[in-house]
Amino acid sequence: MRYGGEGRTRLLLITLIVTALFLITLDLRGVSILNGARQGTQTVLSPFQKAGSTVISPFKNFVSEVTHLGRTRSQLEKLRADNAKLKATLLNRKNADSQLNQLKGILDLAGKAGYKVVNARVISQGSSQSFSQTVTIDSGSNAGLKKNMTVLSEFGIAGVVKDVYPTTALIMLATDPSFKIGVRIAGTQQIGILSGRGSRSGSLQLLDNLTTVKAGDVLLARGSIANRPFVPGVPVGYVTSVDNSAGEIAQSGAVRYYTNFSTLGVLAVVVGGPVNNPGDALIPPKPVPTPIPTVTIYVTPSPSPTK
Amino acid sequence: MLTRQLSLSAPIIFFIYLFQEAVVNQFKLPGGGFSLFMIFALVWAVISTPEIAALTGFAAGFLMDMSQSSGGPVGQWTLIMILICYGVSYLGYGDGNINGNPLGVIFFVVMASLIAEICFVASGALLGVATGSFGQILLTLLGNAIWTVVIMPIVLPVFSFLHNLVFETRSSL
Repeated sequence: MRYGGEGRTRLLLITLIVTALFLITLDLRGVSILNGARQGTQTVLSPFQKAGSTVISPFKNFVSEVTHLGRTRSQLEKLRADNAKLKATLLNRKNADSQLNQLKGILDLAGKAGYKVVNARVISQGSSQSFSQTVTIDSGSNAGLKKNMTVLSEFGIAGVVKDVYPTTALIMLATDPSFKIGVRIAGTQQIGILSGRGSRSGSLQLLDNLTTVKAGDVLLARGSIANRPFVPGVPVGYVTSVDNSAGEIAQSGAVRYYTNFSTLGVLAVVVGGPVNNPGDALIPPKPVPTPIPTVTIYVTPSPSPTK
Repeated sequence: MLTRQLSLSAPIIFFIYLFQEAVVNQFKLPGGGFSLFMIFALVWAVISTPEIAALTGFAAGFLMDMSQSSGGPVGQWTLIMILICYGVSYLGYGDGNINGNPLGVIFFVVMASLIAEICFVASGALLGVATGSFGQILLTLLGNAIWTVVIMPIVLPVFSFLHNLVFETRSSL
């Protein structure tokens, strides 16, 4: 033991540990003062997060693109020549265009289903140090947002409102390990529960042991009472693999979410559910394969043999 | 003396926290990224006395609990950071091979960061905090450790300089 271990230090350490345990107990008992402290912190932080989001946007896109370099190498090569000329303009417009496209997609989705939505910009990604998957948006209770409202991306479900502050809200993404949503399979109407797994892949558990699911099946949100936390009909994802292990009571499988959670820029919170259940109307169209042109060459032998 | 040092440390800690929440958290880095704030608290603890380290751990942990992206109950990070910060300082205090050597500090901080994350997962399991699949946890732990190794040589001189300013020590890393 190199340090003298003075009585004062030990007393301080014990006091701090007891304080921490006291805080944990208070929080687990639901004492509201701690929620108030968290809300206060968020109120202080939100202007800085908004400013940070605006300043960081170009760099954020750059980092995001670097991480996908392998997959988009050919595309990058093609764009490089044009990019040199348009770089300055593109840098400023890229972020706005991307958000505009996302917003258009969200409004199309919400309009088709008859959802009343409030759009918001993502101003902060949650730290993964706590193993949770969250984002912060720049709309809060002042815009009519409440806890447990469905959050949409341009492709479908993005998450659910976890906490609401006056000007911001914390969204639990569908990838969060504690996220659970009741789903039904489009067409067959079989029901199950989808859980987040920390990545873009979710875990599906069917509820009925007599029903079956197959890869490619599309999942839609089943909806909740009074449309909270989930409105019905929102596209969630599609089944990528099915686990048929013996001993399982009902089938389970892996699901890939439609939403790309690494590129979230604009989200919409559903503040008013549809009058009628949209059913399977929101299923995204399957991608149409681009026809590859084939060239047939007929070789006609020449009358005289070549030397 | 201690009061003066703490009052000088407080704005630095708060500024780094603000930077973490407003800037670092904006980047969606592969492998879960890193926590600059946690690195700062651990560096501060390694090169301070155990007393200062415990207080730093308390302040840093409490601010981490206040972060809205913290999944656990308030106090969980506080408890973990008190113990980890006190632990690294206690082990390294007075040993020039550890707190006077940049490589020693980097090693200590990386290990402490990894242990803190593991403690968070373990205590989270007891407190009912969902932390994801085993593979995802492993990926986050590994990613965090790698990012900490990468970031440490860049930020260590800055944090060491700030520490020297506050505590008026002559040696620097």
